[in-house]
Amino acid sequence: MMKPSKEQIAEVIYASIDGVNEMLAPDQWLEKSPQTVILKQGGGLDSLGFVNFVSLVEEKYFDRFGQRIILAQTNPPQNGRHPFQSVESLIEYLDSLSRL
Amino acid sequence: MNQLVQRGLLISDFNLENLSAYLANNREPPLFRCEVAPYGQVTQTLLDSTLPCWNPPPDFTLVWTRPEAVLAGFREALNGDTVEEANLEREVDNYAETIARAGKLSKTIFVPTWNVPTMHLGHGLLDLAPGLGVSRLLMQANLRLLRSLSGIPNVVPLHASRWIEMVGEKAFNERLWHSGKIPFANEVFKIAAREIKAAIRGIGGGSRKLIVLDLDDTLWGGIVGEVGWQNLVLGGHDPMGEAFVEFQRGLKTLTKRGMLLAIASKNEETVALQAIDHHPEMVLRRGDFAAWRINWDDKARNIVELTKGLNLVLDSVVFIDDNQVERDRVRQALPEVLVPEWPVDARLYLRALCELDCFQQPLVTKEDRRRAEMYSQERQRTDSKAQASSVEEWLRTLQITVKVELLGASNIGRATQLLNKTNQMNLSTRRLTEQEFGEWASQPGHRSWVFSVSDRFGDSGLTGILSMAADGDNARIVDFVLSCRVMGRKVEETMLHWAVKWAQSSRLARVVADYSSTPKNAPCHAFFQGSGFDAGKDGRFTWDTVNPYALPDVIKLITPPEDAFDVVSGKPSAAEAGVPLVRD
Repeated sequence: MMKPSKEQIAEVIYASIDGVNEMLAPDQWLEKSPQTVILKQGGGLDSLGFVNFVSLVEEKYFDRFGQRIILAQTNPPQNGRHPFQSVESLIEYLDSLSRL
Repeated sequence: MNQLVQRGLLISDFNLENLSAYLANNREPPLFRCEVAPYGQVTQTLLDSTLPCWNPPPDFTLVWTRPEAVLAGFREALNGDTVEEANLEREVDNYAETIARAGKLSKTIFVPTWNVPTMHLGHGLLDLAPGLGVSRLLMQANLRLLRSLSGIPNVVPLHASRWIEMVGEKAFNERLWHSGKIPFANEVFKIAAREIKAAIRGIGGGSRKLIVLDLDDTLWGGIVGEVGWQNLVLGGHDPMGEAFVEFQRGLKTLTKRGMLLAIASKNEETVALQAIDHHPEMVLRRGDFAAWRINWDDKARNIVELTKGLNLVLDSVVFIDDNQVERDRVRQALPEVLVPEWPVDARLYLRALCELDCFQQPLVTKEDRRRAEMYSQERQRTDSKAQASSVEEWLRTLQITVKVELLGASNIGRATQLLNKTNQMNLSTRRLTEQEFGEWASQPGHRSWVFSVSDRFGDSGLTGILSMAADGDNARIVDFVLSCRVMGRKVEETMLHWAVKWAQSSRLARVVADYSSTPKNAPCHAFFQGSGFDAGKDGRFTWDTVNPYALPDVIKLITPPEDAFDVVSGKPSAAEAGVPLVRD
């Protein structure tokens, strides 16, 4: 199985952001950018939005790369950062998973 | 349809926040603002009318449950236990009764059918076994639920199983279920949101009424003017030919639900009609079309003329054409007309038609089933009008009969549909559910009558509504509604005659009509201005009941029995007032 590139991982995350944005009012839409904050503390998703986002990333990651990942219970620090702190940190985390 | 935000209440034993979000973010009219009742408290919410969520009454309520959450017997079946089917049916009846009780708390209650996840251990050989099979019990429970809810006018079941089928194997989402108590994938909720919107539009009279069709490569394959009707691709042992036939069958089905078909085609009329009349595989014949414009003119102009000729408005029209240029032209010229993108492949035409969610309606009446036939009769009327020397003479030759009846159980379904669909000849454009209409009409001092019109060409059915309220010394016209199909044939004057007669019998001093302007009901204002009623300020029209309002001499009026005519409480009866029961 080919290891996905960071760009490909970013595409999966952005497609998931599109899915979540469909359920948000326009003024709450997440931007498709590495700097976008995902978790609520920084102005990102609320708990239900987060559930939807995680489910979408898991599903789309499998659809795209054929590899099942579990993010629902993710809580490890990633270089001192939570994987869901931002889009960038999530890309790094998924990239590290794909190297395992 | 107005752009007011409608309020929805979502009640469930699972998390419906995602559906709420899709309903709120969908910008297609009508706009929704939804409240989700505390989840898992279905029965408590339905039974407690004092809860804030019921006040003011929601415009619609959705009660969507999992069968295992509301039916103990079904839960047992999922656990592998045997279930007495009669016990399960009793549970379903109790659940339906709870919903029925809440019927008075909301204008409309939607109840999606039950489903169970495709992945459960009950499938297999035992799935349809009596007392044990989960799918068998699910079918029985759903059927029982539909039977128990039928006859409750504002409770509308929705076929959720179809939403599940449309999404396919990903319809149930274990990730969302375990993380957020959301059993379905969001694709299911998106479809549900779209269908709920379409249903609300249909109930509110906002459905499309007329499909204008191109001919060449739309109803059949090929250019009839070039290949001749004998060589069209239509039916036969040909995949494309069969696809065109299936598409025509789909359109024919819609005509039986009250949709009208018309043709806008660039062709020689005689050549095109020859194909419609003579091709052996045509499903749609001349009588299936309410009107046609087959010429070389601009299609946008033809659509305007067709719509006007049928007394419809442009936002009730769908235009289907295989040609992108024609679609773009009509979109640009007539933005009110719905012009769907159309597949290049004719084998996908029927699917494209099915995907249009603009034909929803809460019931099908005998008038709906006969609509195309009625327009065919209308063409004969129009032809006869051209031969008459004056409008009066023409009306006399029609031999019009108007039958008036009190609103009642036998006609309230059709009357409510008419009330909610009619835009042009509509004084107040009041929109009510069947239950609301019935309750209003049964209040003291309120009367509603329905008017059915026929003539020598045929029966137009129930096409008019008059609602009156005794208001001090005034007899106030609350609903003055007439289908566009019979406008301009003195039925309007007949309804005013009846209104004045009732006011006189009830010893009320005057009849008043308060015109409420909408973007579409200018014809009603124009009629009242020419009606002889005194036009006052703020759109009020008045008739002093000292003067009778003459019944047009071209109308034969068949009136109801005297108790149906009735008068307001404490006033003399119709018979005492000398109201004849049948007059010529």
